[in-house]
Amino acid sequence: MGNVLVLAEHRQGALRDVSFEMLAVAPGVAEDMGGEAVVLLFGSGIDDLAKKITEYGLKVLVVDDPAFENFNAEKYQMALSAIIDDLKPSVLMTGHTAQGVDFMPALAVEKKLPLVSDAVGLSYEDGTLKATRTLYSGKVNALVAFKPADTYLVTFREGTVEAPEPAAAAEVEKLDSPLKEDVPYRKFVEYIEAEVGDVDITQSDVLVAIGRGLKEDKNLPPIEELAAAIKADLAGSRAATDAGWIPHDRQVGTSGKAVKPRLYIALGISGAFQHLAGMKGAKTIVAINKDPEAPIFTVADYAIVDDMFKVLPKLTEKIKELKG
Amino acid sequence: MLMSSEIQTFTEKYDLLGCIQCGRCTGGCPVTVRANLNVRQFVNDAYDEDKLEELARLAEIWDCTACHTCAVRCPKGLKPLEVLIGLRTMIVESGKVEPTVRDALQSVLLEGNPWEKSRATRLDWMEDLDVKIADPDEPVENLFFVCCTIAYDPRVRAIARNMVELLNKAGVDYAFLPEDESCCGSEVFTLGEEGLFEMQVEDSTEFLNEYQAGRIVTLSPHCFTTYKTHYPDLKSPVIHYTQLLVELLNNGKLTWKGELPKKIVYHDPCYLGKQGNIYDEPRELLKSIPGVELLEFERRRERSLCCEGGGGKMWVESESKKERLSETRIKDARALGADVVAVACPFCVLTLEDSMKGLGLEEEMRVVEIMELLGELMEK
Amino acid sequence: MKTFVCIKYVPDTSEAEVKLNPDGLSVDDSRFSFDINDADNYAVEESVLIKEAQGGEVTVLSIGPKKSDVMIRMAMAKGCDKATRVEDDRIATHDPLMVARVLAGGIKGQEFDLVMTGCMANDDWHMATGVALAEELGVNHASMVNKLELQDGKVKVHRELEGGLLEVVELDLPAVLTIQTGINEPRYAPIRGIRQAQKKELNVVSLDDLGIDPAEVGTDASQVVLEKLYIPEVESAAEFIEGEPEEKAEKLASILHKGGLL
Repeated sequence: MGNVLVLAEHRQGALRDVSFEMLAVAPGVAEDMGGEAVVLLFGSGIDDLAKKITEYGLKVLVVDDPAFENFNAEKYQMALSAIIDDLKPSVLMTGHTAQGVDFMPALAVEKKLPLVSDAVGLSYEDGTLKATRTLYSGKVNALVAFKPADTYLVTFREGTVEAPEPAAAAEVEKLDSPLKEDVPYRKFVEYIEAEVGDVDITQSDVLVAIGRGLKEDKNLPPIEELAAAIKADLAGSRAATDAGWIPHDRQVGTSGKAVKPRLYIALGISGAFQHLAGMKGAKTIVAINKDPEAPIFTVADYAIVDDMFKVLPKLTEKIKELKG
Repeated sequence: MLMSSEIQTFTEKYDLLGCIQCGRCTGGCPVTVRANLNVRQFVNDAYDEDKLEELARLAEIWDCTACHTCAVRCPKGLKPLEVLIGLRTMIVESGKVEPTVRDALQSVLLEGNPWEKSRATRLDWMEDLDVKIADPDEPVENLFFVCCTIAYDPRVRAIARNMVELLNKAGVDYAFLPEDESCCGSEVFTLGEEGLFEMQVEDSTEFLNEYQAGRIVTLSPHCFTTYKTHYPDLKSPVIHYTQLLVELLNNGKLTWKGELPKKIVYHDPCYLGKQGNIYDEPRELLKSIPGVELLEFERRRERSLCCEGGGGKMWVESESKKERLSETRIKDARALGADVVAVACPFCVLTLEDSMKGLGLEEEMRVVEIMELLGELMEK
Repeated sequence: MKTFVCIKYVPDTSEAEVKLNPDGLSVDDSRFSFDINDADNYAVEESVLIKEAQGGEVTVLSIGPKKSDVMIRMAMAKGCDKATRVEDDRIATHDPLMVARVLAGGIKGQEFDLVMTGCMANDDWHMATGVALAEELGVNHASMVNKLELQDGKVKVHRELEGGLLEVVELDLPAVLTIQTGINEPRYAPIRGIRQAQKKELNVVSLDDLGIDPAEVGTDASQVVLEKLYIPEVESAAEFIEGEPEEKAEKLASILHKGGLL
């Protein structure tokens, strides 16, 4: 009946950003489909989380069951399967996250429902639900249309849209837990925090890489401050590791490591072919270099031609401010 | 795992019994100042079959730059460096190589170049140029083979681009190979991927022999020496481009505009000098430029210092924190008062220029490949 | 331990300019290099490591054209024992649920303890095939696995969550695991190994050979339609941020913030 059900994601007592981001998309789609957006929350002792979501003006359905203390794909699938039968939402949307991708494809197969994963846009036009996806290193977009189905499944990419501002408070409705039996096959054991200490830059999510432009190691502090502000690991070009500014095992390039972070910030790196080959897998590349002709700019998404030491302090300050 | 038959051939293959342990190899090895590499010791120890696996696991086998100084100096005519390559082969065939080496080798197999670039983009360097492409049905005097590094690395592409302009202007009978051309295997050989190298020799010999070439002209000394040394069945003789240019120079087909009042020091690339025995042609070309004062390194010709670009070192970083040989070289050039360090090898450009920048001498000096310099001086 | 490892041959589009074919539904891949999908390569290595430690047999399963045989031979050179390649142009490959159904058809009826595949394909980024495959096979699964320990009918895995956090879960076998890059260091397949692998069995099959009704996995069966591909307006070429140094810094910070990159 046109309702868009958004499964809010949380972990270790905190709601994930994507949960709010989806609230920027779901209400519009629901309205076009003639229904409303409703948030679904699974967990154990999650009243405060539920309350936080109600601040966005959407009804929150809460399943409070000790069985949901930790994420479990099998339990989520079982519960969602029952809820789809029960509530018959037109759309079920989750984050395209390590949680969402762990059960949505299985749910789609089980319920024989269509799935579009990693959507970056969603709209309902002329009776058809359409999703936008990105392919080929983000260089191509795809418009995908759902064929008519009772429920459309969507996993929505994190960080694609900004979360809306909180609106009028809405109600919380408790649902009975759809879990009737224990799930025997998959057992949560524990969470392990990422190891601190020696860093494997091939696994880094965010890298700040420095090159010859550093000039000397006493110039490192502003770079370290930026890295700390964005939780980045430090890496370097061959020149930087040669100079001893950065450990050798953090060298990026054909004779070093090939990296594929979500964000790569190249500071004072001109971008020799051998360096570019090592960081081409980065999703977003920011380059700051004095030389407007530096080859690094040919692969950068965002470029600043300037002395990095004039840019860095303000950049770090502003980032800290934006991150609150 | 090693087969016992392979162990037996190791001694035979590298003629280990021919070694008299005189130590001239290690004595001349340029890498010894940087790394804990004693090639004489390896030749000695590799004779013990039981020790081979242990030797192959030593990190220093990857420090060799395949400069061939040891081979040049060996009074018995052996190639001590190939013992190290043989040990590398054992590691490569176990599959447990550094990821960088793995990716380079795999790229050679899949795309015909070690730079993980698509074969289909191999001729992109020709963009906007009027280039004659070779046709097996048409005889051609000078058939050009473009090195993978020159074809793909924008820093050194000018070597090939300037060559095309020069050839067109001088009216030379030439053609460049189409995109089917594949890596010569120089670095595959030195990285120890023996099986892949054998396949390359077989495939490229067949490919190159399809053309009716008076001679094959190479742009990189690595391709030059590799074809000359390891491709016995090539129909056409192989030359380095500096040899062709000296011919053109002598026939009055090369003229330069203006003067270049610079002090230029020429760095002998190992693969062109020590291995290719070409020392004079690059110097003649430089001397032909009006205004140039040609300087000489103390360590030149067969004693030239290696830049550490060969031997697969583009994909293997040395553990050593000591000064790179290319840095020593730039300092030497600086001490000579050189404005320009000229080389005739793409790898030497990359390593020497990197060190020049590292020493903060960008304002004072230039590192150029001879073709880059000639491109600037060509009458267009 | 009987393992299936599902792999895909994908183009490297990270550096190349991507152009669309006139049909607007596919990309011109004539200028790309191709290789095994990154994460699948780690799955192959993991399957070989398990075989080396515990014995058993690894079967490669792939859907793709003949030119992908080189990738399959490389996997066999590394230690996989045999392979099946499904070549059939009636598969709706834009829909991972259809792909999963075909892969399931290549596994069903055979004994297995583990099925491994990469957690994501570099070309279409779905992250859906492996988990859908588990449901098709009716077995357990875990996605984004970056460490695994096999123990007596069970497997304990580390799942990589956002922000570097690991979730440790235990599953009963048989199970499907989608493997994250970095779980191991994939080995090199030397040419001599690839040559030897020519002797290993590589079966090329069609949907009919697998007993799959093409109507069940084709574009009619898929519940999603690829309407069109298009090149997004924001070109990958760099956006140069102008202004005084401090202005540039502020603008960059906002861009990164808005892009969810902080």
